[in-house]
Amino acid sequence: MRSTYRNLFLIILYSLLFLAAGVAVSLRLFSANSRRLARHEHLQFLCLAWQEEALVTYKALVAEWNRLHPEMAVDYIQGTWGSVHDYLITGFETGDVPDIIHYESSAVIDFAVRGYLEDLASLISADLRSDIQPVAWASVQRSNGAISGVPILLESLIILYNKELFARAGIMVPTMEAPWSWEEMAEAAKKLTVDRDGDGITDQWGAGMGLRNCANMILNLTIGFGGSFFRSESGHYVVRVEEEETRLLHLLMKMMYADSSMTTAGLGQSGPAMIPGFSAGRYAMVVNIGAWARQQLVANAPPGLAWGVLPPLKAASQQIGTSSQTLSIPRLSSRKSEAMAFIEFLSSRDNMARIAASDWMVPARASCLGMPHFQSREDGWEMAAESANYLTTGPWIGAPGYIEWKSRVANPILQELFANRMTVDEAARRIEIESNLVLERYQTRDERW
Amino acid sequence: MRYHLVTHFGLISFVVFLVFPLVWMVSTSLKSTAELYSGTVTLLPKGLTLEHYRTALHDGLLLRSLWNSLVVGLAATLGTILIALPSAYALARYRSLINKVVLGWILTTQVFPAILVMIPLYLVLRSLHLTDSLSGLALVYIVWNLPFVLWMLFGYIRTIPQELEEAALIDGASRHQMIYRILLPVLLPAVAASAVFAFISVWNEFFFALVLIKTPVLGTLPVELARYTGMEGMARTGPLAAASFIATLPSLLLFAIMRKWFTGGLLSGSVKS
Repeated sequence: MRSTYRNLFLIILYSLLFLAAGVAVSLRLFSANSRRLARHEHLQFLCLAWQEEALVTYKALVAEWNRLHPEMAVDYIQGTWGSVHDYLITGFETGDVPDIIHYESSAVIDFAVRGYLEDLASLISADLRSDIQPVAWASVQRSNGAISGVPILLESLIILYNKELFARAGIMVPTMEAPWSWEEMAEAAKKLTVDRDGDGITDQWGAGMGLRNCANMILNLTIGFGGSFFRSESGHYVVRVEEEETRLLHLLMKMMYADSSMTTAGLGQSGPAMIPGFSAGRYAMVVNIGAWARQQLVANAPPGLAWGVLPPLKAASQQIGTSSQTLSIPRLSSRKSEAMAFIEFLSSRDNMARIAASDWMVPARASCLGMPHFQSREDGWEMAAESANYLTTGPWIGAPGYIEWKSRVANPILQELFANRMTVDEAARRIEIESNLVLERYQTRDERW
Repeated sequence: MRYHLVTHFGLISFVVFLVFPLVWMVSTSLKSTAELYSGTVTLLPKGLTLEHYRTALHDGLLLRSLWNSLVVGLAATLGTILIALPSAYALARYRSLINKVVLGWILTTQVFPAILVMIPLYLVLRSLHLTDSLSGLALVYIVWNLPFVLWMLFGYIRTIPQELEEAALIDGASRHQMIYRILLPVLLPAVAASAVFAFISVWNEFFFALVLIKTPVLGTLPVELARYTGMEGMARTGPLAAASFIATLPSLLLFAIMRKWFTGGLLSGSVKS
């Protein structure tokens, strides 16, 4: 009986093995069709555009390129910001990567350090090299001169304000020539905070600020206070949180918990998620939101909402850290010169202006900034373009381990701080200790920017 | 009476908890963009609009991805059940050292996250020319779902008394008759549950589809839906809700069809009618 069972088991086992082998052979034959579809005879362009206008522009530009250069046709591949990192890492490791990658400078730096990206220094035209703003190059250029991507758009932080609520509170709007200090903004926010029905519940907040995953934003704004968090000591990166680094943190905590002029609703939200509340008149200002979020306002705000953009706030200076959206070529691409020709096409003066206008961001080419569209007062373009003069790059650009530092150390600690679960001093101490543990681990690998 | 009230209240609360996200999704999909961004939260739309459904259906490859997900889901489910069912039977009925090793291995495979196996898996599939193809993706899903489905079926088969099979054999049934006329009807609820599990798991799977499929027209639903999301967690809320609702329909339909099997098949066929 036992041997019968054993025989039966073996028969089933062998049957399964044969079945598996049969399935594999059939699938392989089946996949021949799919493979024909998937064979990349064209250049592959991974694009992260997602706003409707930007999608239309990028696709139109690809179609235009394909009409002009049928011998170097490009396939448009739609990527997503939330998953692109894993997608690319797997692609780099397996060798199956698109020829042109649209991404952002801080991630591109990390890829360049790991050797995934082609150095574009020798491929970039003189026109492009000279016209792109130095701050944009600084975000993608390594200390050895290698360029890991062509910056096309600059991310600038702006302040949205509700014109009607400002007028009602009798607040004069600051100008580019006479910008507000952070303290003046905080004072204005107090005046703009209103409990209309006297029930003890605030109906209108002076300011709203998206503080979810805010490490990058805090770093960028701290530059204006003379802080940097990251220092280079004896050739190694370390994090120091001193007075300059904590001034902004103190100010935000005061606005939220002492003055009650900034809503704590922003703790769990990104900056653009504050826009519905801004449209509904619940926040008189949205402080430090990406310039691209204006598109959401234009597309979705109720008719009649009068809004504008304030000039960058002044602390020690008006400088704000920035990152750029980039176009890169993987080292594994077999068609680098053709890929570069396509990047030059997208980065031409007119095409970059089209992309920037449709994505509501600042173009990286200096010559684009003077174009009428970017000088228009409508939809805050003039102020957004002017803000570009104050953009700079922080010393953390290229710091090995920065991405892990941001997600594992800075974001969680800042989240706890802004939820009022610790003091600024405690947060500063924890950031210093935990940051340096992460950075040390990376720097023993001797990965240099 | 009080006990019944508490039970009913508990059950209704649970149903509301389960149904609310679906209702919210449908409501969002029917609100105008202006209403979505008005800052006022309402359960029911103030004015119904189908603009987001039009956008979702015309912009992008939603229907194509729906079809791809359906093909891959059905192929993977069928493949998984076909392999898992006889394997689970053999493991449950024929005890040996190999069985213990196999069961141990099945449990072990459950501890590996997808990200860990992705790169070697991709390389293997590429050497077989199975990347960027729906058949390759279906094969991956079969392998990925097999351990859990096998474990589910194994547990169920073990609960079926062996005397049932012996009685059939004593009554003169051949082994084939015993399997098809006695055992299979009893197993149907478990097969249905496992099939639904396998299908839903394939239907919702994102990471393998994202990495293994490169050609846009071969993309599956979760990957297509992700394209409505943007920077800093922002999304094109209306079209995303409309597309998500369309994406939910097939799995809801599958549940509705399979529901009666869960209970109807229980012990049916095990006694003479």
